[in-house]
Amino acid sequence: MTREAEIDAMLLQHRVQSFLFHEADLLDRWQLNEWEALFADEASYLVPPTDVDGDFADPSKSLFYIFDDRTRIHERVVRLEKKGAHSEFPRSKTRHLVSNVRASADGDTIEATASFAVWRSKDGNTDIFVGHYAYKLVEIDGALRIAEKKCVLDMDALRPHARISILL
Amino acid sequence: MEQSLRPVVDETRGIYRVPRRAFVDPGVFERECRAIFDKCWLYLGHASELPNPGDYVTRKVAGRPMLFTRDKDDQYHALINVCPHRGAVVCRERKGSSPAFQCMYHGWVFANTGRLMVVPGHAGYPADYKDDPGKQLSHAPRFDRFGDFFFVSFAADGEDLATYLAGAGDYLKLVSEQSSKGMTIVGGTQEYSIRGNWKLLAENSVDGYHAASTHSTYLEYLKNANGSTHDTRLAGFGHDLGNGHAVIEYFAPWGRPIANWIPLWGEEGKREIEAIQQDLTARLGQERAERIAKQSRNMIIFPNLVINDVMAITVRTFWPTAPDYMEVNAWALAPAEESEWLRKFRLFNFTEFLGPGGFATPDDVEAIEKCQTGYQAAREAQYNDISRGMLREGGSAYDDELQMRCFWNEWDRRIQEHGA
Ligand code: FES
Ligand SMILES: [Fe+2]
Repeated sequence: MTREAEIDAMLLQHRVQSFLFHEADLLDRWQLNEWEALFADEASYLVPPTDVDGDFADPSKSLFYIFDDRTRIHERVVRLEKKGAHSEFPRSKTRHLVSNVRASADGDTIEATASFAVWRSKDGNTDIFVGHYAYKLVEIDGALRIAEKKCVLDMDALRPHARISILL
Repeated sequence: MEQSLRPVVDETRGIYRVPRRAFVDPGVFERECRAIFDKCWLYLGHASELPNPGDYVTRKVAGRPMLFTRDKDDQYHALINVCPHRGAVVCRERKGSSPAFQCMYHGWVFANTGRLMVVPGHAGYPADYKDDPGKQLSHAPRFDRFGDFFFVSFAADGEDLATYLAGAGDYLKLVSEQSSKGMTIVGGTQEYSIRGNWKLLAENSVDGYHAASTHSTYLEYLKNANGSTHDTRLAGFGHDLGNGHAVIEYFAPWGRPIANWIPLWGEEGKREIEAIQQDLTARLGQERAERIAKQSRNMIIFPNLVINDVMAITVRTFWPTAPDYMEVNAWALAPAEESEWLRKFRLFNFTEFLGPGGFATPDDVEAIEKCQTGYQAAREAQYNDISRGMLREGGSAYDDELQMRCFWNEWDRRIQEHGA
């Protein structure tokens, strides 16, 4: 790797990592509209089930937990802002830990992966979601935007809890 | 004095109360295991999960590790997935295809029919040891199918499956008839848990009354997202199907991939949906086709199989492991011949409402868990009320509580029959 290429890679790494940390922070502070604004106009948010290979499964062919297009990402936020989203009203506390970030640019798309552990606490229970993210990021007007966010759960099943009522 | 476990019922005055003790008492849970889960027909799986000879799936049924296989002669088997030698679980894969299974502990090998084939170091045993009936994989005491739905019972005696299913049989057909090629379980299982008593999910799954309150955000979403037929209101009936099974059958504003079109699906989608309905009509006649296409159905088959034919079809089981905890499994069922386009919308539809990431199920879970918390005061605040609609004339409405009463009558009958 030439020195320039190395510096480019460092900058990309830094940029993507900062972006993901920013996103995690928004989620933990329940700044959902700001979170939604991180998505591109065409985007998807996906959570595959745990009994398929989540890195390759196709939500139009197998049943997922979450299969949101851009409209539904918006509607998900709209819903979570309402009192009638009973599972998250009052709000649970969450903490997203994001690590092992890797990024590579492929033309206009940046592919990034990261490990996550998300804790959700409410009503005397603390539940953990563990897995890895696979992002497709694009640059729009000089800023990174999410074209796809896939949260692959590295869990045997979604147990002992039931709700991906928070955003992963 | 210990509080009674029996529902308090007065048909003429429209009273039906269920003691909350039934949801929290460990002794009740033990009795349920013996009186209900050791006796009833329980859902094992669907034929489409074993599309080829040699295929198998493993799963737990009432806590028992089961191995559901299809042999080379297309015979299906419901094997207890436990080694007759010293008891290890034999097949440790979730699913696959194999003519035989080797126990990892001492290496015994069993055919997918359950037959013992190889015993390493057989010199230590009598010559005919392998043929001993006690050394084969056990079969579920009873095993039968209704169409492509397979059930087991851990009781050697009892009524046959069709008799047990009673009126639910025709409703299973209303699901199967949606395809001329056979319905299929779509890959991908939703597996989650709820910190609540299993009977709460039985009730919730067929509860038409809670939609407006629990799922207000979902109903609002449907309007926003072009996901609804604006002129359709929730309306319909509840039916007692016998033996503890019950269904609500109703019109609802959501789209049904079979065959209720919504604007979100566009003009091209409209043509496809119309073609599906024409095919249904040709095969089944106008009335039945119309019913399949336009009406939704939530059905509980006692004790713990739910088939909800709503904005998609879910097949769901839930297994208690304690009075306040259950493991839920949910699958999507679809016509095998469905186009790629429609399959995608079906799965998109499924996930909008159903499951841990849907716009509705998390709030059902919230309701169930909050009830379970409330039942901690079962000695002081003793009863649930499920009397809604008891005195209504002209049949039960979809948002009455007949369905729960059917479930509880059967629950009570079986618990009493079993004794303390
Ligand atoms: S326990 Fe299976 S071979 Fe010994
Ligand atoms: Fe519900």
